[in-house]
Amino acid sequence: MIRAFTRAALLLSGLATAAHAQSVEFSKERFGGDKDALKNAQRELKAGEDAYAADPANYGAALPHFLQAQQLNPDNAALNARIGDCYLHSGTKALALPYLQRAQALAPADDSRTHYLLARALHLNAKWAEAIKEYQRATPMGGGKRAADGALTVTADDLARRLRECRNGQELQQHPVRVFVDNAGPEVNSTFSDYGPVVSADEATLLFTSRRPGGPNAKKDPDGDSYYEDIYQTAWQGKRWRPAASLGAPVDTEGHDATVALAPDGQRLLVYDDENGGDLNESNLKGAAWGKPQHLGNRVNTRYHESSASYSPDGRYLYFVSDKPEGGRGGRDIYKIELEGKGPAENLGAAINTPYGEEGVFMMPDGRTMYFSSEGHNSMGGYDIFKSTLTNGQWSAPENLGWPINTPDDDVFFVTSASGRHGYYSSDRPGGQGGKDIYRVTFLGPEKAPVLSEESQLLASRLAPVAQTLLSPPVAVATARVTILKGTVTDDATHQPLEATIDLVDNKLNQVIATFHSNATSGKYLVSLPSGTNYGIVVRQDGYLFHSENFDLPAEAAYAEVIKDVPLKKLEVGVVIVLNNIFFDTGKAILRPESTAELERLQKLLTEQPTLRLEMAGHTDNVGKPAANQDLSQRRAQAVVAYLTQHGVAAARLAAAGYGDTKPVAPNTTKAGRQLNRRTEFKVTGK
Amino acid sequence: MPRNSLLLTWGLCAGALLCAAPARAQVDSVRASTLPGRQLAEKAYNAGLANYSAQNYSAALASFNQALAAKPDFAPAYANRAATRLALKDYPAAVADYDQALKLEPGAYAHYFGRAQAHEAAGEGPAAAADYGAALQANTAYAPAWYNRGVLRFEQGEYQAARDDFDGAVKADPNYAYAYHDRASANLELANWPAAVQDYTKALALQPTLLPALLNRAAAERRTGQLPAALRDYDTYLTQKTDNALAFTNRGNARFENKDYAGALADFDRAIALDAKYAYAWNNRAAVELKLEHYAKAAADATEALRLNPKYAEAYLNRGHAREMLRQADEACQDWHQAAALGLAVGNDYAAAAGCSGDAAEVPAGK
Repeated sequence: MIRAFTRAALLLSGLATAAHAQSVEFSKERFGGDKDALKNAQRELKAGEDAYAADPANYGAALPHFLQAQQLNPDNAALNARIGDCYLHSGTKALALPYLQRAQALAPADDSRTHYLLARALHLNAKWAEAIKEYQRATPMGGGKRAADGALTVTADDLARRLRECRNGQELQQHPVRVFVDNAGPEVNSTFSDYGPVVSADEATLLFTSRRPGGPNAKKDPDGDSYYEDIYQTAWQGKRWRPAASLGAPVDTEGHDATVALAPDGQRLLVYDDENGGDLNESNLKGAAWGKPQHLGNRVNTRYHESSASYSPDGRYLYFVSDKPEGGRGGRDIYKIELEGKGPAENLGAAINTPYGEEGVFMMPDGRTMYFSSEGHNSMGGYDIFKSTLTNGQWSAPENLGWPINTPDDDVFFVTSASGRHGYYSSDRPGGQGGKDIYRVTFLGPEKAPVLSEESQLLASRLAPVAQTLLSPPVAVATARVTILKGTVTDDATHQPLEATIDLVDNKLNQVIATFHSNATSGKYLVSLPSGTNYGIVVRQDGYLFHSENFDLPAEAAYAEVIKDVPLKKLEVGVVIVLNNIFFDTGKAILRPESTAELERLQKLLTEQPTLRLEMAGHTDNVGKPAANQDLSQRRAQAVVAYLTQHGVAAARLAAAGYGDTKPVAPNTTKAGRQLNRRTEFKVTGK
Repeated sequence: MPRNSLLLTWGLCAGALLCAAPARAQVDSVRASTLPGRQLAEKAYNAGLANYSAQNYSAALASFNQALAAKPDFAPAYANRAATRLALKDYPAAVADYDQALKLEPGAYAHYFGRAQAHEAAGEGPAAAADYGAALQANTAYAPAWYNRGVLRFEQGEYQAARDDFDGAVKADPNYAYAYHDRASANLELANWPAAVQDYTKALALQPTLLPALLNRAAAERRTGQLPAALRDYDTYLTQKTDNALAFTNRGNARFENKDYAGALADFDRAIALDAKYAYAWNNRAAVELKLEHYAKAAADATEALRLNPKYAEAYLNRGHAREMLRQADEACQDWHQAAALGLAVGNDYAAAAGCSGDAAEVPAGK
């Protein structure tokens, strides 16, 4: 150690003397006989140099010591260069620039390493043109193993890539995207680093990773100044977030626990741990408590690094990132796997994955829009966030989200609300609470064109001017194509929340495409319905009659949020259930094929309850003649009865009644009301 | 106006509004002193003309009444009394007198033309257009009838038909500056901008004092992308006429199009200083404040425009934009919706894109 310090001190003073007279040595002369100050400075230098010269170099440990020494002598060129180098290896790389510039001013150097490091710092500060000049002065180089030996390997490809990034940055910064970027506030962020936000589709719940103290297992991380990662949760209260609280055990452990993904309904959480090279685990929300994270298994996790991931909206698929070499295209790649299937994970291909790294995958609840970060494509440096949409099985060319969302440094782990209007990510931009903070991005879309008016005196013989409004063309309205259905499932009689199973049925295919559960404590549920499907939604629970809803969403249906509370009814005589997924041809009593799933459910109910007797009832709105309505409703009820008897239900257990327009459940004065009145329902007449 | 000289044999100016082709009392006065008999009707008729010329319309009316009392089939007296009644804004009586004149002199294009003007003044556009048409059937070379019918058609939004009429006018009178000007305006409305520029230029050549042609030519030039030429025309106008808020506003718009936002702001400032009740200037200044990212000022200017004109859709739209940037999301939504309610449907698009409540797509019916 003593030898190392001696070498470092010699290095510093030697550089100072040889390189430039302006650089000030750590010498008695500099400290004017203040032996204690000199001793302190030398102690800090030694500690810093020990960490810096270690194999591998420990830049994080070296930096505080170097900074302390620099406070005592700001004008030592080599020390400023060391600090710049340490910052370039930290989470706050952009801070390297003033130190490297100071080092260069104190002791100008013309070697490739100096130009490259200066170029990196300029690049990270978005000083594109200056960075390009410095990169162009650098040449490929290979260095030693340790930082103190000048360890730095830069290939010609690396230099070309950095130049490309700078040019991308120049281009992207010229066309900044219009966004509000708001700090999530002190209720979420701490003075320590907070990052990795994940949000439920309706933005009601936010979870994130924090390195603050205060968690039940909080311990200082020996590798830095912060604490081990823990996961925190908060809920939106209308105007601000509730103060975040640690999830605690069993999710938070003594080691690092980090957020990866939250299912759109907020009921499943993916957590990262650094076992086995980095693995993904899943925790389920049971009532108000998160369960112990379960390993996702070897089809997802390998001995390589699996990091970020995202569920498909139906929960069947997982998009995840791995750096496994098999099937990879270089660096970290994004894969897709069917969780309940048996097949291997599928690489998303060259449209998405580049020879460089991909990270931070997030699939929107619309099932077709994916956000991810990449070091490739037209990144302006490090990881940039990109967006790509899936159309007819093809991913579109990734679109850089642009400046100022993306910066020259790493921009990763970006998630959005289902509407796509808000995004969440972490950043260490100025003005935060300290360390990295979580920010909410509000997308404002293209500039909204102001509208000017003018008038002209167009007729020579008339005095009155003629108004002429100069209108800009209409704006394109891009909204996510997904409907968020949410609400609370309760017992109809007691109004107590129920944990119920929610089946999402593709009526056209007569297939259950996803199954969700309402929360056991709150009864709350949330289902994402990507546009383009006729959905039957069936809410069921043992001991209750099922409840069905229908959402027939054309492919172009824009974002909507629908709240539908579901009171489940117990099987009692007199109870009436509306069958929202029974469809007839217009004006006829012919059952459409999309009705099959609902009819089979009804048949199953009658099979499971052999003493159950039902009256099938048809109802219409008040359009048309009452007699015709009564006749149509009667025939439709009979059609349902006929289906059931043809499928083995005894006719004696069933009755058919047509009520025409005599029993409306809503005013017939609106389209929505008439829609509600046109219905098929059953009434329990015996059990 | 060259048209007036043609009408001197027939008409007296019936009012400033109609001076482009005014009705005139006949001036082929009868020289009573050389005629035999008492000539009471003729004397009264001539007195009526003198009073009309002196704009003493009541006395003129009394004189023509005397003439007609003495000679009930005196057609020129009916026509001149009609012109007098037109001057006195007694339009039904004027029409009745022209009717009588036409009975006595069927097919006289001047009587049709006069009656057309009376109908027009009474707001009876179709009847006026029909009478201008009848005048033209009687005399296709009568340029004012073409022109006046063209104006009526223009005001009805029938720009193609108006342009055809102005064509007729300039064929009948190749020096008819107003007809060139208004044909240019018809071309402007028909998006035939190069032709509009050409006609405004011709009108200015014939009548350099026709300053509105400079403003209108500038408008046409802007639409053809000739912003420098347009700005020159505005400048020329404003060096000659410095008190026109409309002209400053329109040049401000051109400067806005030219991305000269500081220049536009100065023009809108000037327009407001000249006429603080000119809502367009307030709205347009709000627009330029938006571009300059002075959102609070933009909102304030749009608010003033709305105070002056509470149904000003464009001002609602602009204020919505400003309020969005001021983080007043709910208020922005209200403004965009209001703009849409007042006819700017794009307001609903903005509201939907911003996630305003009530703008989620309607969930399609299941059945």
